[in-house]
Amino acid sequence: MNVQRIQAIFEKDMKDFMKNTMMFFTPLLPVILAVFYSRLGEGEEMPLMMIYLIVGVTYSAVTSGTMMMLMAEENEKKTLRGLMLSPASFLDIIIGKSLAATLLTVVSLVVSLLIMGIAPLLNAQAIMGLVLLFFFFLFLGIGIGLFVKTVGITTAYLMPIMFLFGFTPMVTFLGFAEDSLTMKIAGAFPLPQLIEMDETHSWLSIGVVALWMLAAALFAFICFKKVKQNE
Amino acid sequence: MENSIEVNGLRKTFGHKSAIKDVSFAVKQGEIFGLLGPSGAGKTTMIKLLTGELVKTAGEIQVQGMPPSKFQTAAFKAQIGILSDNSALYERLTVYDNLKLFCRLYNEPVSRIDEMLIQVNMQEEKKKIVAKLSKGMKQRILLAKALIHRPKLVFLDEPTSALDPGNTAQIHRVLQTLNEAGTTIFLNTHDMEEATVLCDRVAFLHHGSLQELDTPENLRYRYSTHAFHVETFSGNKLVIENNEGGAEEIAKLMKHGCIKSMHTDNPTLGQIFLKVTGKELV
Ligand SMILES: Nc1ncnc2c1ncn2[C@@H]1O[C@H](COP(=O)(O)OP(=O)(O)OP(=O)(O)O)[C@@H](O)[C@H]1O
Ligand SMILES: [Mg+2]
Repeated sequence: MNVQRIQAIFEKDMKDFMKNTMMFFTPLLPVILAVFYSRLGEGEEMPLMMIYLIVGVTYSAVTSGTMMMLMAEENEKKTLRGLMLSPASFLDIIIGKSLAATLLTVVSLVVSLLIMGIAPLLNAQAIMGLVLLFFFFLFLGIGIGLFVKTVGITTAYLMPIMFLFGFTPMVTFLGFAEDSLTMKIAGAFPLPQLIEMDETHSWLSIGVVALWMLAAALFAFICFKKVKQNE
Repeated sequence: MENSIEVNGLRKTFGHKSAIKDVSFAVKQGEIFGLLGPSGAGKTTMIKLLTGELVKTAGEIQVQGMPPSKFQTAAFKAQIGILSDNSALYERLTVYDNLKLFCRLYNEPVSRIDEMLIQVNMQEEKKKIVAKLSKGMKQRILLAKALIHRPKLVFLDEPTSALDPGNTAQIHRVLQTLNEAGTTIFLNTHDMEEATVLCDRVAFLHHGSLQELDTPENLRYRYSTHAFHVETFSGNKLVIENNEGGAEEIAKLMKHGCIKSMHTDNPTLGQIFLKVTGKELV
């Protein structure tokens, strides 16, 4: 690991991102949704679920999405080989890109939450949950980014991630019975855990989200090993 | 260390397919070594084996005095430069930003960018977006990128294939200057003219085996019939043997002032390759 190389890759990715019209739209998506939601419920208190929905959209689209796309594009455009032949290690490359995805996520999330009302999330437990959740989505993005070969394919992976993990709270609108298996499973997903934590203040929820994060980290690690092996 | 590259009994298989079959050779420090072969001969595979992108199946490799186990180290990467057959630049970024990235990855000062742009004659395009450059210009920037860290040994995989003569000449000029300064160059090509112009020694690779290895001059002498090709003013083209009978024949032609032109049989590398392998180079 080398700080200068990580920084070089981070800056290159940020510059490249700014000039990529397709990707540039991604961090704006949660902001636009936030404006839309806050107009919708003008004057009323913003439901916590809506706030977490914005978090879910930001993390899935901006964190996982850009991470995957940044990695897939290096593969597709054959620029990855140049990086790999340089003294930069694979880890340098991944960390540099992760930093770019992190910066974009933070900006997008903070702006969206300021629009929605950030107050309900300003406590240590919620912030911890948000950080763990962020790494969950980041690792998912890294893992998938390691094996996708084209930017086009990333959409196919991004969709299920968005619906499963980004929009999980929406399952309540699908009309399943409160004690059905689907609802129980959905309840164990990271986003519903964090919403529930707001009432229960239970550290168990943090534990569950941490487990999800560890699972995602393991997934990314396995993908990393697989890619190294195939070289 | 006299040899920059040493290869002994090298083999590489992909599944059941043998891409490199028991190849041995050495590349001397400071020479331009050409690996010639048609498509599918195994040229790219050879460069990948020598740079650590592929792992050998059997045999020995030493590059710049290091075994393959060292090929992933920064010390090794600092010594070699690679222009591979499908390298690419970041299309949305400027020429400058592309080179800046590699300056920083190799820990070179950014002042190196201008030096390299002058070398490849691209100073004017410094602020241009790569996507707007021609293919030949991109290739010259890729060459600048490959050389940015002053490598001692440079691998080039068909650096001028599909380029126009102007860009090709520019690249050749850069390579010659580089070589005069002491850089060893390993060049893959299926362009016999390129090999003749640039290489100190060439090796023929055919179906993964090395067939010949010598200087272009020696090869051309060795595969020459040594006969004389004579064209007379009356338009006759004669091939005259290099022996007593031939001498008399030529003397007669000379006495009568019939000879318009005369030269020894001097096959091109392409013709020699065809003779050795029975296959066209291109
Ligand atoms: N990763 C791989 N997996 C399987 N076979 C491969 C692989 N790489 C190369 N080959 C095979 O090895 C042989 C040599 O390929 P290589 O790319 O080295 O040829 P080349 O001389 O560089 O050809 P060209 O002039 O077209 O670039 C080919 O038959 C090719 O199909
Ligand atoms: Mg090739």
